[in-house]
Amino acid sequence: MKKTIIAAFIGLSAVSLQAQTYEFGVTLKKYEGDSNSSVSYGGQIARHALHNSLKVLTKKPDAEKMQAYFSGSDAGRLIIDPVSKDGFAIKQTKIDQLSSGKNLASSAYKGVITGWPGNLTGKETLEQMVAMAAKTKSGYDPVNGYDYIQLISKFTMGAVFYNKAVNHYLDELLEADVKPNDKAYKDGVAYTGKEHVWDEAFGYFGAPAHSMNLTAKDVVQITKRNPEYFTKADVNGDGVVDLKSEMAFAYAYYAASIDASSDTNYFHTIVQAFLDGRELISNANAEKLSSSEREALKNYANIIAEEWQKVIAEAAFKYAGSVYSDLEKIAIIEESHGDVKKAYRSYIKHWGELKGFALALEAAGRELGEAQVQLDRLIGFSPVLFGDAQVVAANGKGGYVQAPTITMQEYKVNMIKVQNVLASQFGLSARLKDKTAGLDKVLNQLNTGSSAEND
Amino acid sequence: MSIELGGVLSSMIAGYSEWLVIELSGIFSDLTNLKKRVSLPYLLTGILFTYVIFYLRYRATAIERLKPLFTLTLWTNRSARSDYGLWILNRLILPFIYPKLITKLTLITFLMYQLGRVELFEVSLALSDWQVMTLFSVSYFLLDDFSRFYTHRLMHWWPFLWQFHRVHHSATVLTPFTVLRTHPIEGVLFYLRSLAVQSVLVSTFIILFPGQVSLFMVMGVFASTFVFNLLGANLRHSPIPLSYGSKIEKWIISPAQHQLHHSRDKAHYDCNFGVVLAIWDRLFSSWAKGSDSQKLLYGTGTSLDQSHVVMLYVEPFISLARSGVSSLRRLIKHR
Repeated sequence: MKKTIIAAFIGLSAVSLQAQTYEFGVTLKKYEGDSNSSVSYGGQIARHALHNSLKVLTKKPDAEKMQAYFSGSDAGRLIIDPVSKDGFAIKQTKIDQLSSGKNLASSAYKGVITGWPGNLTGKETLEQMVAMAAKTKSGYDPVNGYDYIQLISKFTMGAVFYNKAVNHYLDELLEADVKPNDKAYKDGVAYTGKEHVWDEAFGYFGAPAHSMNLTAKDVVQITKRNPEYFTKADVNGDGVVDLKSEMAFAYAYYAASIDASSDTNYFHTIVQAFLDGRELISNANAEKLSSSEREALKNYANIIAEEWQKVIAEAAFKYAGSVYSDLEKIAIIEESHGDVKKAYRSYIKHWGELKGFALALEAAGRELGEAQVQLDRLIGFSPVLFGDAQVVAANGKGGYVQAPTITMQEYKVNMIKVQNVLASQFGLSARLKDKTAGLDKVLNQLNTGSSAEND
Repeated sequence: MSIELGGVLSSMIAGYSEWLVIELSGIFSDLTNLKKRVSLPYLLTGILFTYVIFYLRYRATAIERLKPLFTLTLWTNRSARSDYGLWILNRLILPFIYPKLITKLTLITFLMYQLGRVELFEVSLALSDWQVMTLFSVSYFLLDDFSRFYTHRLMHWWPFLWQFHRVHHSATVLTPFTVLRTHPIEGVLFYLRSLAVQSVLVSTFIILFPGQVSLFMVMGVFASTFVFNLLGANLRHSPIPLSYGSKIEKWIISPAQHQLHHSRDKAHYDCNFGVVLAIWDRLFSSWAKGSDSQKLLYGTGTSLDQSHVVMLYVEPFISLARSGVSSLRRLIKHR
């Protein structure tokens, strides 16, 4: 009797474990190869490694090297980040071991980005940022207030990862007539059209395959390659962390870090929706998805897209708070005639993160309505610099035009407005570094709608 | 060319009709939205509340006293039809006006910035969340009620504003929907009043008690508004005179007192401007007590009372233009 209960428990946990890990068998009937997994998103992980590496390269910019990772496709590129360190060995050392011939530029958003000077597309914006960064000594332009390390990294995440996943794979590629589930994605591969489309979106999110067995804190520490968390990352126990399935990148890291500092559950909600959607596709057993199955799949895609958008908005919210604090610090230091250099550097860094995330929100073709204009205007094309000036335009020769706008202290108030717009537009709940002091909540309570009641 | 034009026209018409449907459906949402006085639950509880009071006072004749509410002519007469007209047309007009006005967020953050400059940030008062909520709710209630009283008084005393407020007083029959018989210019004034009150209060409180400011809410509505509406605010504009008795009426304005305010009789002019509290009227010597058995005639006693709904919008402007011209003439003559 005891044995059967134990056996039943083991059986049950095995069943639930199966759905808890992003591992799915081959369903294609005509597949003749020897792979027993239909999961594949090496190309996406390669781009994560390119993005991480590009961020390191921006700190000591070299135009040619940056281009190699941003727009090149040459073989032999080394992974510059993440690399092995004491107590945290990583399996791959070259980009080609993940996928060959990949780059970031070709996958970047082709729509216009209104929040950056020059009326550029997402791709052109990134190209310009990379070119401008290469002209600096350390990726930092104090004159215009640009920290290209942050700008390029945060905006690449939006224009490439978020855009491709939400605007492409989880959008038009879920339609019935493209990449159908009853055919191989392409000749000879072990996965169907829809299986692969879903996997590519999952790959761009950047979560480990065994995410459901990890806490948000685990994910954060794994991304930081903390040796204490090595065994949690190396789930198959082969002594190395496989970037393809055991590492966390980009938005997966941000989702987890927001969850780790608040009571939100973005990371696991998104991963669960990916798992549920993928299970649905696997269960279709390489048959065409019925319209009700596709509806259910689109529902999962919607959850992913909305939660993902919230993660970006939460990150922007947090950095608007940091910019606010930096401006407070600068005012205090200026009053005591101290050296503002360090505080100014941190202001520019946090602004770069804020701007990068705010631009990312625009980079997936999702309708933001009034919020987009408000965010663009409140944040501006640059932080407010000493002399109360801001970048107001591009000069057409690859440079920027500055003009007097508002004071730094007025700009500080803009940050409260930015937080208000983000919180009310996207319904945020983590609200890290909240400087609104509950303003949007009171305004909501006081709102009685538009009609004129007399006395 | 003509086909193209037809296409443009039909898409314009489609666009406008979609907008119209959305706005018009908003009218029906007023009837269920607890933030609105005319919502059906408040109409029902108001009647129930009045019935209970009347039953305690008059027993058998209580129902008789409520009967005027249940006659078809009350709801379908000319004056009531104009109320509906203004309600619906304002619903279509105000969405074009409000967005042109300054927003609360802009004004509040501006005030916060100004207050921050005078170092109000340095004042930190340690109060519990409950204390802040009580203080904020009470302050808001008092300031809101007083500002409503004072604006209302201004609209009667200042001839320019009276031209617009007169539209509300041109109702010859009072029904709960008379509350929405408002000229849009008045609507703008009400908006600016609430903007000023809320912005000043919210920005001050947010600076003194960051993260702690909130209102007492009941079912998503500010508690005092909820209670006020629940206990028969709708009777204020109705044919049922309900007095609270002379003791309570010194503190709270009863439906009967507000009906006196609407009376056509010159003896009742310029009394009871208050909304909830009666103390403002007592302070400004405009207080008058009501009675369950008062018999009043309503309206302005001018041709406006019989005007078509379109004229209710236009007439104030014509009237202002006329008085402008005549005072100009007088000015020229004196020279």
